[in-house]
Amino acid sequence: MKKLRVLSGIGFCFVMWITPFPFEIPKGFPPPVYKFQNNARTRQGFELGRKLFYDGRLSKDGNFPCSSCHQQFAAFATYEHRLSHGFNNKFSFRNAPGLFNLAWEKEMQWDGGINHIEVQPLAPLLDPHEMAEDLNQVIGKLKKDNAYPALFSHAFGSPGINSQRILKALAQFTASLVSANAKYDKVKRGESRFNQYEKTGYEIFQQKCARCHQEPLFTDLSYRNTGMEADSTLKDNGRMRITGRKEDSLKFRVPSLRNVYLTFPYGHDGRFVTISDVLEHYNSGIIQSTTLDSSLRKGITITENDRFYLISFLGTLTDSNFIKNPLYSDPAMGVRDSAPVDIH
Amino acid sequence: MLLKISNWFTLIFFLITTSFRRSDPEKDAIMVIRFAVYVHGVPMQLNKKYKNPFSEIFEISRFRFYTGKMVTIYSDAGIKTNLSNAYHLIDFSDSASTLIELRVKEGSCKEIQFQLGIDSTDQNQGAQSGVLDPVKGMFWTWNSGYQSFKIEGVSPASDQPAHMMAYHIGGYRYPYSTVWKIKLSADKIIRISKMNKTMVEIPIELDNFFDGPHPLHIKEIPDCTTPGELARKISENFISSFKGPVITLNP
Repeated sequence: MKKLRVLSGIGFCFVMWITPFPFEIPKGFPPPVYKFQNNARTRQGFELGRKLFYDGRLSKDGNFPCSSCHQQFAAFATYEHRLSHGFNNKFSFRNAPGLFNLAWEKEMQWDGGINHIEVQPLAPLLDPHEMAEDLNQVIGKLKKDNAYPALFSHAFGSPGINSQRILKALAQFTASLVSANAKYDKVKRGESRFNQYEKTGYEIFQQKCARCHQEPLFTDLSYRNTGMEADSTLKDNGRMRITGRKEDSLKFRVPSLRNVYLTFPYGHDGRFVTISDVLEHYNSGIIQSTTLDSSLRKGITITENDRFYLISFLGTLTDSNFIKNPLYSDPAMGVRDSAPVDIH
Repeated sequence: MLLKISNWFTLIFFLITTSFRRSDPEKDAIMVIRFAVYVHGVPMQLNKKYKNPFSEIFEISRFRFYTGKMVTIYSDAGIKTNLSNAYHLIDFSDSASTLIELRVKEGSCKEIQFQLGIDSTDQNQGAQSGVLDPVKGMFWTWNSGYQSFKIEGVSPASDQPAHMMAYHIGGYRYPYSTVWKIKLSADKIIRISKMNKTMVEIPIELDNFFDGPHPLHIKEIPDCTTPGELARKISENFISSFKGPVITLNP
């Protein structure tokens, strides 16, 4: 009988430790690519991933947690920065995208070079221009910490810290970043209504933008050359860097327009400061080249009026519930109400 | 009651373990495959100077590759036996890793087949552990994928910083895949018996790596560290360095 008590005790602890944390697919969204397969989402796994995301010790000098370039108040993009700052005063190679709805992405990055959400953190972590750290160093730092060994045990049901567990925990957090509660979503759910400007903007959007920025993710996740000349210092060929195919030269992933008010500057190298600049690029700035997207050969005519309405509509894609959701915030700091006055 | 429950557990445990044991009753012999590197027929040591067929001096400090999916092919009717689907990381700085011990079927084996690199279907499965753990230094982070092999060192012929030469060869996408199946004949019939361990060696001749289907002059190509056409070509040279035959080490 004593044995039985011990056994049920172990079972009870197990239940206490691992709390299932079902992932909800927002209404109208397609099935996600990442279904937490081999990495069942639990409250403990999510909380561990969240703590790691905000922990500077994942970087070489302690100053660059994931959250240094992915700030919640900017929908997890880098607020107001063309390129982000990394270790030793270096710039990142590309503009940090917002992080949301990543569970629907088959590939990560502007060039789609990363083939699974779980291995995505390795890129910034090991990049000498970003977090500049070594995996074994990270594992060593976490093992020495007072809190982490227990948190890993709780999240994975047995003791041990290794790269696989770090990456799976981070994926539990990053894949959980869902933005689907903007005014647009409320309108779609019948809980709100567009005003006249937004409504007109939505009609123009559907006519002129939705072919690539498909609803409900506001991207079709394809790679396209949108007529931007390669920067002479970055020499960024986009998708061709990954596939080695000339046909993919200068193609970049269509970014989501969700939270677009917060994720400026725009473009893979952050060359466009405002939404208006982007719209003007499509109207008059397309550079012709062999791989230019066929739909952009003649540009997209966007009049002054169109621009006003479009910008009105795009404002309905700002998800303030998302950027203020305490579930996604720094566990040590809580939610920030606004951008800090001076961020590096 | 408790006794009964624990009896049930014991029975289930027994059934599970015995069924695993029984899963392959035929594979009752042991074969050890050893990989060894030669330059011009001489066993290569790390951090020692050698000359390639183009008279370029080089020394290698790091030499690793992924293999796995071993298959033995028997003399009688060419019967193939898959030995294991596991991957192995051969690292010549760790001699234990150059030996692979496998359970095999008794018989007369004439050929051995193995894979270089990691299958495309295993390249995009997220965070991995064991030999596929990214801490092993064989995973590319900005262009996800496992390198098939890595040969690194220095050569006065290299114009790179500190005369480095680095062939980090990988890529699993069509048409620039660097993943290959290699089938080699044995120098003589390998008699596999459960009476003793069968030892064989698979030699890698670096002369054939440099003077392969695409002559590789260090002066011209001191490094290649991204997937693509060049990586594919260098991988063709590397598989030609497995020139065979498989050498039987016991009678």
